[in-house]
Amino acid sequence: MAVCLLYAAATLGLAHSSNYQQGLFLVAAVFSILALSLDLVAGMLGLYSLGHAGLFALGAYGTTILNSHFGWNLFALLPVVVVGVGVVGIIIGSLALRVSGLYFAITSFIFTLIVGVVASDSTITGGYQGLPGPIFPNFPSAMSSFGTALVWAVSGALLVAVIVIWSIRSSALYPALLAIRDAEPFAASAGINTALTRVLMFGLSAALAGLAGWTFSFLGFITPGQFNGTTSINILVMVILGGMNTRLGPIVGAVFISLFPVVVNWNPLWQEILFGAIFIFVIVFVPEGFVGVISRIARRIRAGLTPSSAAPEVNEPTTSLGHGSQPSSALPNTSVSATAAEFALEARNISFSYVAGVTVLNNIDFVVRPGTIHGLIGPNGSGKSTLVNLLSGQLTPSKGTVSLNGHRVETLKAPKRPGFGLMRTFQTAVMVREVSTEDNVTIGLIHKYRWITARSLIWPFLPSGRRDSRSMKSSAHGALRSVGLGEEWTRTKVADIPHGVEQLTQLAAACVGLPSILLLDEPLAGLSAGEIAQVATILRSLRSSGVTVIVVEHQTRFIFDVCDEVTVLAAGEFIKTGQASEVRSDDRVREVYLGQ
Amino acid sequence: MLQVLLTGLATGAIYGLVAMGYAVVYYVTRVINFATGQLLMASIMVTTVLSMHGTPVALALAAGVATSTLGGVVVYFLAVRPVLRFNRLSFAWLVSTLGVGIILESLAAVIWGTSSLPFPNLLNGRDVSILGAALTWQQILTIGIALFTVVGFEIFRKRTLFGKIGMAISSDPDIASAIGANVTSYAVVAFALGGLLVGVAGILVGPLSFANPYLGESFGISGFVALMIGGIEQPAASMGGGLILGVLTILANTYINAQASDWFPFVVVMVVLLVTPNGVFMSGGAIKGIWRRFQTSRVEAKS
Repeated sequence: MAVCLLYAAATLGLAHSSNYQQGLFLVAAVFSILALSLDLVAGMLGLYSLGHAGLFALGAYGTTILNSHFGWNLFALLPVVVVGVGVVGIIIGSLALRVSGLYFAITSFIFTLIVGVVASDSTITGGYQGLPGPIFPNFPSAMSSFGTALVWAVSGALLVAVIVIWSIRSSALYPALLAIRDAEPFAASAGINTALTRVLMFGLSAALAGLAGWTFSFLGFITPGQFNGTTSINILVMVILGGMNTRLGPIVGAVFISLFPVVVNWNPLWQEILFGAIFIFVIVFVPEGFVGVISRIARRIRAGLTPSSAAPEVNEPTTSLGHGSQPSSALPNTSVSATAAEFALEARNISFSYVAGVTVLNNIDFVVRPGTIHGLIGPNGSGKSTLVNLLSGQLTPSKGTVSLNGHRVETLKAPKRPGFGLMRTFQTAVMVREVSTEDNVTIGLIHKYRWITARSLIWPFLPSGRRDSRSMKSSAHGALRSVGLGEEWTRTKVADIPHGVEQLTQLAAACVGLPSILLLDEPLAGLSAGEIAQVATILRSLRSSGVTVIVVEHQTRFIFDVCDEVTVLAAGEFIKTGQASEVRSDDRVREVYLGQ
Repeated sequence: MLQVLLTGLATGAIYGLVAMGYAVVYYVTRVINFATGQLLMASIMVTTVLSMHGTPVALALAAGVATSTLGGVVVYFLAVRPVLRFNRLSFAWLVSTLGVGIILESLAAVIWGTSSLPFPNLLNGRDVSILGAALTWQQILTIGIALFTVVGFEIFRKRTLFGKIGMAISSDPDIASAIGANVTSYAVVAFALGGLLVGVAGILVGPLSFANPYLGESFGISGFVALMIGGIEQPAASMGGGLILGVLTILANTYINAQASDWFPFVVVMVVLLVTPNGVFMSGGAIKGIWRRFQTSRVEAKS
């Protein structure tokens, strides 16, 4: 509340200041909106869009042309432009985001170039000379004490952008977005539709760029030169200079870059040279940006003040899994009760090959009884990991069926499968390194809550948002405790934790959503003897709470010790399935696997 | 029609050389040098200014090409090496190489002014007629050099040890350096070669374009579009992209209108990117792969 009043007071002050100061503010605010919108995709999702100048141009030209040629009302145009540019963003995103990375940057760059060419060559856009923008109406005389209306409008637009971006940063979606950026398989297997989320976020970013374009149209003449490829790079430099993926960074960068040429009034050519030098300087010397550098220094000072303590120990696990309190707004557990189907997981006649002609799995049957721990073993190259990826939806079988608790799922992609009660871990844990273990574990809960993406736009203002954040945190704490990670680990960044803790965190993220089937791909890789004993305890406690566990492992002692039943694969062929003791004494198994 | 085709090939050969300038650098270092167009401009400007001050044309041409070659190396040490050391997989070079491009362009404008200067007239005056189509010797030379470059590069890449190590670095620099390849020196050579190619493109197109500090941007973008049409992964494919772009541009100018060459390349590249993201020639490779798979599956079915 106090912040709002302060913001309004600052706007009021600006609305009464000189034209020069207002001009500075208007330009800086418009570019702040743009930089914030780019940071949403570049910083949080790793999508280096160079299409933002083009989207910005669509907003500005759209407003100007629809107003001057077709007489549309400027305020009615605001939602039209924002939604319109957002839809354009969704279209570009759904075409260009099929492949991310460099390809996306290039396609979006070419989009900007096309917008520039069209604007330069069309008559309706005024060609190279451009168009005079519409005049923003002033306040009626009764309200003249508010000063310049345009300042209020631009300041309001900036506030909207800040609220939306900062809300997303504080929402439950934020760790999930970073996971899509850094650990896509983890995000997908946690039930997040990564492709759709990317496209929607790019659409939102485009809509904000459209908003920036709407405000920019009131600032004077609009020419194609204001929206070329260099502008796109400029916006990216603003974000990098200020600090990518930080709250204030994009704003700091936008203010600096957009006001620099106005304040330092040199020969334009020398100014360009200086600009080029700034590009290089920033990228080479401060790649984490102003805000990044400052917060790093602040962290170091804080770390110097607090006495350093020895690395905390991993505790004995508490067996509280499955007893965590479920929030009221969470979806009911969609998994069918363990006794409903004969098999918790049933894969029949599975065949698969990566390259035609080379069969990786040949007609495999793999069935798991509910409430058991089932081991899947086989020599290297036997197709275990491929089978796991087929069960969890990372791959689609070329033949055969997969059922989870009696529901056929073989055609569904990975993000759909947690809805049928399946969660998995990966051989090498790849999670979001820059957030805490707790935040990483909450990613495993996202699929349990409705409308996360839509609600994230105003998350902190929604009672349900705050409530869900709290319940997710407490579930995450419970899950971390249940794998033996106490309070001392919950706030530690994944980048700073040892490998064993990382594996346990991954396990917690898979357990936190209370799956009925848990698929673990080499959970012991790189663990110490003590940690292995701990995993055994955790798996047994999961079984006692009714969870079906499937373990792929090389450590046969662990497998035969912990598992109820074991299936053996070799070179893509099914060898044997049965009780652990029975499998262990089987001659064929000894021959292909144990080498005896 | 033949006239359009040949003129298109001559234009396209320039685009192709610029595209190869990008592609050679990308091939070894996975970096797109966004100062490539400005290196071409540097070659044209230096040649022009030297010959205006009475330097023999041959010497001026050599100095122009040498400038852009050296310029490539400067780009590497100034804008690419420091960034790659920080994070090999980031796109930070996008911003820093563009920064070099902006500096080069503005420096040229500060030193030599922004108006166009005449480039020494090489072989441009003399026409030759091929089956009724009129071409200048300059255009024929351009096409010839472009073809020579592609063939020479491919032989160099596949038949020499240096080229094979380059291929190894291209697919995995970490492993290549583990077996003893000096990745840095290969990167320097790649940037120098990239500069050399656009330097040659510059002196070939100079007589038509004249010398202007802002040439770099337009040729840089055309070359980049050619690169995207042909496919970024193979330098030879990018030359093909240049030739396609050149012919399509001249076709558009002839059959649509005189301004069509402004927007037509972008439409082409947008279609290419949406249909076959890895370029026209790369998808040729993909088709070959599918064919091979089809054949192996047939063989299997028989056995």
